[in-house]
Parts: sequence; structure tokens; C-alpha cells
Amino acid sequence: MTSLASAAQGSNELVARACRGDMNAFEDLYRQNIGRVYGLCLRMTGQPDSAEDLTQDTFVSAWRSLPGYEGRSSFSTWLHRIAVNAVLARRRSPQGRNEISMTDEAGEQMEFVAEAEMDEATPIDIERAIAALPPGARDIVVLHGIYGYSHEEAAGMLGVAVGTCKAQLHRARHLMRGRLDSEKTT
Amino acid sequence: MNTIPFGPRNEDPLLAKAAELPKDVAPARDLWPSIAARLAGETQTARPRAFGWPAALAAGFLVASVSALLTWGLTRNPEPAVQPWLADVQSAEAAIMPVNYGPNSGITAKELVARDELLVQFREKLAQLSPQTRADVVKNLAVIQKATNEIDAALDQDPASGLLNQLLIGAYKQELQLYSTVVTAGDGLTRRT
Repeated sequence: MTSLASAAQGSNELVARACRGDMNAFEDLYRQNIGRVYGLCLRMTGQPDSAEDLTQDTFVSAWRSLPGYEGRSSFSTWLHRIAVNAVLARRRSPQGRNEISMTDEAGEQMEFVAEAEMDEATPIDIERAIAALPPGARDIVVLHGIYGYSHEEAAGMLGVAVGTCKAQLHRARHLMRGRLDSEKTT
Repeated sequence: MNTIPFGPRNEDPLLAKAAELPKDVAPARDLWPSIAARLAGETQTARPRAFGWPAALAAGFLVASVSALLTWGLTRNPEPAVQPWLADVQSAEAAIMPVNYGPNSGITAKELVARDELLVQFREKLAQLSPQTRADVVKNLAVIQKATNEIDAALDQDPASGLLNQLLIGAYKQELQLYSTVVTAGDGLTRRT
């Protein structure tokens, strides 16, 4: 058995135990997945405090819903879907609208609160360029570009058409390239 | 999870760089104690439930259909307005129950305050409509309420569902659309009297 298959089997056993109400097994699942869930929330919101709240909400929601988890996708993908829903719900709230950068009717950038929250010492320019994107474009870069979901999967998570995902990715690439080019010239 | 073996993600140097970023990011503190505290004493949602995907989908479809029909009816074939002093304002107000959203909606108290502001105008206009139209509006609100209950219950079972999330927000928008349609149609009717 490969180490990957072994890990998957271990995870499945933890999920089965957690489904039976074993909190210790659920804590192990938390330890296995916290980095990816928090990373997703942080990159989608650009706000460490919000990302922490959303990560907690994700695991609480997952615990409540574990009996309904049917294993059609991997546990980590299932968690990611919950996290994306939590981020989108928060973004629609007035609190979220104050926190997260928005775009105007034409889809142009209006403000980048997320950018201000980023650690300026971050050596990875690409990370800052992603954080500076408008939410729709940022979402697809995070899901598709960083976490490797297909356009179809990302569209399903975000509740938009596949064509919209592709258009947002095109726009994101254009904006990121412009931002990185301007940084080079300054 | 699928990986992308070909296409723009690998061809574009920016996306290739993005793909190289670490997938895991550690939070500044251990979040488990807070999560465990929230879970203490909670029981997981039992699998057998009265509501599920089919009911939620049907509910979402019904909301869209019935509200659209009401909008069409009000805007295309407005009924003759009754005189305001003949309208039973109190009974109309009593019949109106704004939609109550469950814990999975992500709709906050502030958003509901905004909804309630529209509701004030809606109630004024509704009182000027005929009893039959008022009854139709109340019936539509009941449909939206039933739909949100079923979608919310389905989200309890399947919180990862993007579609259910969209359906719930769709129901919220339909509720606002219904109020807005009545307010607008009510203006037209008032002008015709």
C-alpha cells in the first residue's frame, strides 16, 4: 500500500469514528486539515481574524453534518466546500462587505482592504498580488490556481457558471500581471 | 480533487507560481479549543430528516415560479385599486409575515433591518390592493417561507452545497423582489385612481 493510500485509509477511519461521535477522531481530522482550511479562508478573505472565525465555523458545521457526509468527495474537498460557503455567506453580510474589497458595477477595483492587511514583509510577490485582486477574480485564482480545483469544481463551489470562472481567471491574470509589472518599474 | 495536467494553469507563469504556493497556512493560534468549546454538548445532525435535496430543489423552483407569476400579474393586469379608506389595513398587516431565515442563511440582522425598511412601504401599498391580490401576495410569502425552511434544513445535512446556498440567497432576493414589485405596482395603481 502506498503512503498516499495509507493516509487516505487512515483519514477514512477517522471520518468513520468521528461520524459515530468520537471527538478525538474529529480533533485528529482538524489537525490534518486545519492548514488547508485556514489557508483557503485567509486567501479568500485576506483577513486573518475573519479567516480564523470562518475556519472555526467550517469545522463546527462539518461536525454537525458529518452523519450526512457520504464520501462522494474526499473529506478535505468536502471541508473546502463548507469553507467556501462560509466565506461567501460572510461576504454577503454587511460585516463582510466592510471587511472585504469590492468591485464596482464594471468590475473595476475599488479598494483593497485585504491588501492593507497583508504582511508587507511577505517575500512572495504573487501572494500579495492575489490578495489585491477583486473577490471574484481572487476566488478562482485561489481555488483553481493554488488549490488545483478544475474550473467545473470551482464553479460548483462558487455557485457560478464555468464560463464565469474562466472569464474571472482571465481577468485575474491580467490584473496580476499589471500589478507585478508596475512593482518592477517602481 | 482534480489536478490540472494541462491548460492555462501550467502554461501561465503566474498560475504556475500560484500553484507552487504552500497549500497549508497555520493560523496564529490553535483554534481547536474554541471549536471544542462550541461543540461541547452538541449532537450531530441525525441523518434521517424530513427534508432533503429534492424538497429543497422543488422549493427553490417553486419560489422562482410563483414570484415570477405574481410579478407578471401585478405589472400586466393590475386590478382596480380599492380606495385606501376601504382597505382593511390592519388585517393586511396582520397577514404579512416576513420570511424568517434559518441559521444557515448568512443573512444578518442588519440585512433584515434593510428588508424591514422596504417592508414598511410594502405594507402601505399592499393595503391599497384588492383583497384577492393581497391574498396572493400572502400566499407567495408563505411559499418563500416554506422554501427557505426546506433549503435551510437541507443545508444542515449538506453544508458544503454551493447550489443550496445559492437557492437560499435566491429566496431572499425573491422576497425583496416581491416587496419591491408590490411597492412599484402600488404606485401605479394609486396614480390611476
